[in-house]
Amino acid sequence: MTKQELAAYVTEKFGDKLRPLESGRYDPLFEVQAGDLVDVAQALKEDENLRFDFLCNLGGVDTKERFEIVYNVASITKNLRLDFKVILPYEQAEVDSVQKVWPGANWYERELWELYGIHVRNHGNLTRFLLPDEWDQGYPMRKNWDAPDFVRLPEID
Amino acid sequence: MPELRTEEFIVNMGPHHPSTHGVCRLVLTMDGEKIIKIEPVIGYLHRAIEKICENRTYQQCIPILDRFEYVTAMSCNYVFSLAAERLGQVEVPQRAEYLRVIMLELNRIASHLIFYGVTAMDIGAYTPFLYGLRERELIMDLFEMTCGQRLTYNYIRIGGVSRDIPPEFVPKCREALKIISERMSDYEGLLNENPIWLVRTKGIAILPAELAVAYGVSGPVLRASGVQYDLRRNDPYSIYERFDFDIPVRYHGDCYDRYLLRLDEIRQSMRIVSQALDSLPEGEIKNKKVKANFKPPAGEVYARIENTRGELGVYLISDGSAKPLRVKTRGGSYNQLQVLPHYGTNMLIADLVANFATLDIIMPEVDR
Amino acid sequence: MGLIKKVPIYAENIPGGALVLTTLETVLHQAQAKSLWYLLFGTACCAIELMCTGASRYDFDRLGMIFRPTPRQADLIIAAGTITKKMAPRLRRLYDQMAEPRYVIAMGGCTIKGGPFYYDSYAVEKGIDHIIPVDIYIPGCPPRPESLLEGCLQLQNKIKKQRLLDWQEK
Repeated sequence: MTKQELAAYVTEKFGDKLRPLESGRYDPLFEVQAGDLVDVAQALKEDENLRFDFLCNLGGVDTKERFEIVYNVASITKNLRLDFKVILPYEQAEVDSVQKVWPGANWYERELWELYGIHVRNHGNLTRFLLPDEWDQGYPMRKNWDAPDFVRLPEID
Repeated sequence: MPELRTEEFIVNMGPHHPSTHGVCRLVLTMDGEKIIKIEPVIGYLHRAIEKICENRTYQQCIPILDRFEYVTAMSCNYVFSLAAERLGQVEVPQRAEYLRVIMLELNRIASHLIFYGVTAMDIGAYTPFLYGLRERELIMDLFEMTCGQRLTYNYIRIGGVSRDIPPEFVPKCREALKIISERMSDYEGLLNENPIWLVRTKGIAILPAELAVAYGVSGPVLRASGVQYDLRRNDPYSIYERFDFDIPVRYHGDCYDRYLLRLDEIRQSMRIVSQALDSLPEGEIKNKKVKANFKPPAGEVYARIENTRGELGVYLISDGSAKPLRVKTRGGSYNQLQVLPHYGTNMLIADLVANFATLDIIMPEVDR
Repeated sequence: MGLIKKVPIYAENIPGGALVLTTLETVLHQAQAKSLWYLLFGTACCAIELMCTGASRYDFDRLGMIFRPTPRQADLIIAAGTITKKMAPRLRRLYDQMAEPRYVIAMGGCTIKGGPFYYDSYAVEKGIDHIIPVDIYIPGCPPRPESLLEGCLQLQNKIKKQRLLDWQEK
């Protein structure tokens, strides 16, 4: 399946839940509503022509207006690649855990909670692990984060 | 006679422990010599590389990402350049592509030689360490004559490479390959049939393929469990389809197979390098359109390559400004450490050292 | 046996005869400088260069430097690599576990002032010299093995010049 065929197939099969986005430059990129996330993930994994069984990467994005969570998945058996993202509001960002589908998401989701302050429902182990245990300065990966000893690189023209 | 009372106890391995390859802490719940539970505690090397990259221009990100995976820093240079090139639709000259492949594969050999030495040292053999690092110095010489650095190269840039190889590179490189291929039999002779080595590694810490895939394990560890998945073949990048090489696979998934597989990979990498040296074309080494203030149009892309420790990926988002909006990195070690508690229990603590060493985890990839 | 019998003959050729006068201080510090056992403490990139320095080509052993996995047997801690805020208390504890006299080499830019992670990083300790006292700073990112060897030679010079009273007062 080429990338165009994959995009067409996914749009046809899951068109009501996965909305294609124009900003993807290499692999097909879709948007998923936060409520549909786990269902879509399960369907992508179980579809016999897709079999997305391998979670490559999962990362949060802060665009200053909203949060995005990007899921990069791959299929080892069918040799495919696909990205999809969930868009969340800045206030009360919450998302469901996809550990049921891809158990490897566990640490990536802990990172979301720790560095971005995005609450992950049904995670089961949202504890600090990258930052020091006594950390109390908020969520450092947010764009508006600041601290007294945080030095920004001066602009040089 | 009163009943013998036993209880579980906690052993803290790390963060400063010579066999954890960096600053990883494993909290082990033990029943005598047997491990009941492993809880990795990471973050001792969390340096906020992703946050730093958000406040750097695209060209400035490359030296920061060198420190992301310093044992194969060429791959980090390359994967970021690849992502930026896909965003900006940048063409790369042919000679640059060949030089990139040569450097990536030489770096893979150097990394596997470190693996060979360090793993053996963890398990208790000191000679392989001296052998492995002796041959690695030959490769470091090649890198040094090309880009002046031994470890953090900043060599592969967006749109090409930073400078051309000197004229003496090609003969030196062939000589180094010859020496390494001759000494491969020494390496194998030291360990492959060594009874102590066999007892310490064979049948120890078997990682089942389904578990590996579920937890996103990739690279040599996945291939030692019998899954033939190599991004150089399955998601081809650069010019790998022009070369003739095999993807080694082994099926037991134990420490011994993970070790053997990496020796196989050294041989395949040497094949690729010698083919690339034979067909190295003349020409430009850098796309002249890429300037210091490289600004790709808005968009997002995930680039991934086959690194020594599995899939190395960068998710790069541009909003059209001079600095990336987000650089999310993904290293193979992250997932390999994550899967460790799920299959590493019910074995002796000495086997954990062998298991951890053959996973070939390095901590900056985990902590970033 | 032959050599030991000849020692008085050799010694007679030295001006002053068989009697060699020196101070206890010199002998002690010569011995100390020539057997610096270092702690295997590598956190990041510099650890690889530390390994290379200990391996075949550069060969630390010829300076009398042998690695020790435990701080209780070590005289010297080579802080190789970035020290983060989470790691800093652990570094302090390792230093405290070492026996006097103890020395510290700060290897690489990160340990001197945060290095490439000085700006924009929320997690990196900006220099280890406000955690533990540092004797020798080696710049570089990472420093070459030759720089590390030079740093160790400088430390040996420093040890040879020190006075017994100096570390009594500590």
